[in-house]
Amino acid sequence: MLSIENLTAGYNGSEALHQVSVRIEPGTIVSVVGANGAGKSTLVNAISRLVTTPSGKMTFEGRDIMALKPASVVELGIVQVPEGRKLFAPLTVMENLRLGFHRLAGRSGSDKVFKDRLDYVLGLFPKLKERADQRSGTMSGGEQQMLAVGRALMADPKLLMLDEPSLGLAPMVVDQIFDILKMLREDGLTILLVEQHAEEALKLADYGYIMAVGKVRAEGTGPALSKDPALHHSYLGKPGETAA
Amino acid sequence: MEKLSYLILSGVTNGSVYGLIGLSLSIIYGSSRVINFAQGDFVMLGALSAIMFVTTFNLPWFIAIPGVIGVVMLTALALNYGVYRPMVRRKAPPLTIMMGTLGASIMIYGIGLLVWGPDQKFVPALLSLKPLIVGPLITNPQQLAIIATFAAFLVLTWYILYRTRFGLSIRATGVDPKVALLMGIRSERIVLFSFLFSATVSGIAGVLVGPLLGGQIGMGLMLIVKGFLAAILGGLGSPFAAAAGGIAIGMMEALMAGYGTSLYAEPAIFMLILLVLFVRPYGLLGDYEAERR
Ligand SMILES: Nc1ncnc2c1ncn2[C@@H]1O[C@H](COP(=O)(O)OP(=O)(O)OP(=O)(O)O)[C@@H](O)[C@H]1O
Ligand SMILES: [Mg+2]
Repeated sequence: MLSIENLTAGYNGSEALHQVSVRIEPGTIVSVVGANGAGKSTLVNAISRLVTTPSGKMTFEGRDIMALKPASVVELGIVQVPEGRKLFAPLTVMENLRLGFHRLAGRSGSDKVFKDRLDYVLGLFPKLKERADQRSGTMSGGEQQMLAVGRALMADPKLLMLDEPSLGLAPMVVDQIFDILKMLREDGLTILLVEQHAEEALKLADYGYIMAVGKVRAEGTGPALSKDPALHHSYLGKPGETAA
Repeated sequence: MEKLSYLILSGVTNGSVYGLIGLSLSIIYGSSRVINFAQGDFVMLGALSAIMFVTTFNLPWFIAIPGVIGVVMLTALALNYGVYRPMVRRKAPPLTIMMGTLGASIMIYGIGLLVWGPDQKFVPALLSLKPLIVGPLITNPQQLAIIATFAAFLVLTWYILYRTRFGLSIRATGVDPKVALLMGIRSERIVLFSFLFSATVSGIAGVLVGPLLGGQIGMGLMLIVKGFLAAILGGLGSPFAAAAGGIAIGMMEALMAGYGTSLYAEPAIFMLILLVLFVRPYGLLGDYEAERR
C-alpha cells in the first residue's frame, strides 16, 4: 500500500533520515520503534509532506507522493494523528470531529456520510459523545488522545498514522487505545504506529522496524523483532551497530 | 444632553469606521499572522473609485457599488498573488511579508496618485447628509448607514465564522495552521478568502466615510493607524474584539474633542492604550484568544 525507498529527509540542511526504506501492506499494523531523536516523527511528517525530502521514493497505492502537498496526501487517504495530539484546544470536541471530516465534506451526500462516520467514531469512543460541546483542551490526556484518534478516523482514512499515541498516558489507557487499533485492523484499516514503547507496539504489529539515529537498524515480524538485539542497542544508543 | 448625544453619535460613527478596519486587519492576521499595511489603501480605493464611478462616469449607485467592490477585490487578488504567495513560497516569516504589504501600500498609493492626483476631492454621498431627527438624536442617513453597515458586517463575520464549515476551517487555521494542514485544509484558500473579504469590508467603509472625510489619496494612512489601534486595544486575535476597540477609540476621540480639545485627543488616546496594554497585554477582550495559543 505504502512503499518508501531510500528516503532522505532533513531540516535546513541537517539530515534526520538517511536512506530509510519501509513497506506497509494493506490491512496490517506496522510499528516503527526507536529512542528519542531516532527520526520516527520525521518519517511520519515526511509521509504527510511536512518535511522536505531531498531524495528517495514514496508511493501510495502505486502513486508517487513525493511531490504532493500536505492537503493532497490527506485527500488520498493518508491521515496522521500527530505527536502530542495537537487538538484545536479552544474548539469543542464536536468541532474537532467536524474538522477531521474535512476530507469528505462538501462531496455529494456527505451529510449522510458524516452521520455514519460520527456514529462509528462515537461507537468506538462513547466518552466523546458526553463531551461533544466541551472545549477539547479542557479534557483529560486520555480523552484528548481518543479525540485525536477519533478526529483522524472521521476522514475515513486508508492509512492511519499514529505518532506516539501512548505519550503521557497511564498504561491502562494505552492498552485501551491499542485494543482499539486491533479492532480497526479487523475493520480492514491499515495502520502505521510509531512508538517509543517498543515492546507493546511490536506485540501488536504484523511487521516492525527499529530505528536509531535516522536509520532503520532492524526489521521483521513483530514478535521476532522484540527479541532482536538491535532493539537494545537502539535504546542504549550504540549507533555503530547494525543487526539487520 | 443634546451635546452629549451628538458626541456619542459621532463617536459611534467614526468608531464604526475604525472598527471595520480593525475587523479587516484582524481577519487577515487570524489566517496568516500578517498585519496588512495596505489595508488603509483599500479604504482609499473605496472612496476614490466611488468618485470615479459616480461622478466621473456618472453611473448609478447600484452599478457603482459592485464596481467599487470589483476594484478592491482585484487589488486584493494582486496583493495575494503578487506579494503574499511568492513570499510564503520562499518561506518568508510574517514580519517580512508585512514589509511586503508596506511596499504594496506604497505602490498602490503611487498608482492612485497617477490616477486621481493629490487633491482632496468631494465624494458623493450614497445617502443624504441632511439632518434627520430620530427622537432626541440629530443625525443623518449617511451616519446611520455607516453604523448599520458596521453592524451588518459584524453579523456577517460572525455567521461565516461560527455557522459555516468554511468558517470552522478559518478558525482552525487561526488556532494552528500546521495541524489544519493535517486535516487537509488548504490554508492558501483561507488566506485568499481573508484578503478578499477584508478588502471588501474596507472598500465599503471607504465609500461610506468618504463624504464625511473627503476623498484624498493619503486618507488611508490616518485610517489604518486608527484601525490598527482599534485592533490592538480590543485584541487583534478576534475580529469582534478589534471591532469593539474601534468603537472605544471613536468614543474617546469624540468625547475628548467635545469636552476638552481635539488637540489633546490623540496623545490622550495613545496614553490610554498604553495603560490598557500594561494591564492587559493582549487587549481589552483579547484574553480569550491569547489563551488559545
Ligand atoms: N523542526 C526541526 N528542526 C530541526 N531539527 C529537527 C526538527 N525536528 C526534528 N529534528 C531533528 O531530527 C532528528 C529526529 O527527530 P524526530 O522528532 O524525528 O525523532 P523521534 O524519533 O520522533 O523522537 P521522539 O521519540 O523524541 O519523538 C532529531 O535529531 C531532531 O533533533
Ligand atoms: Mg517523535
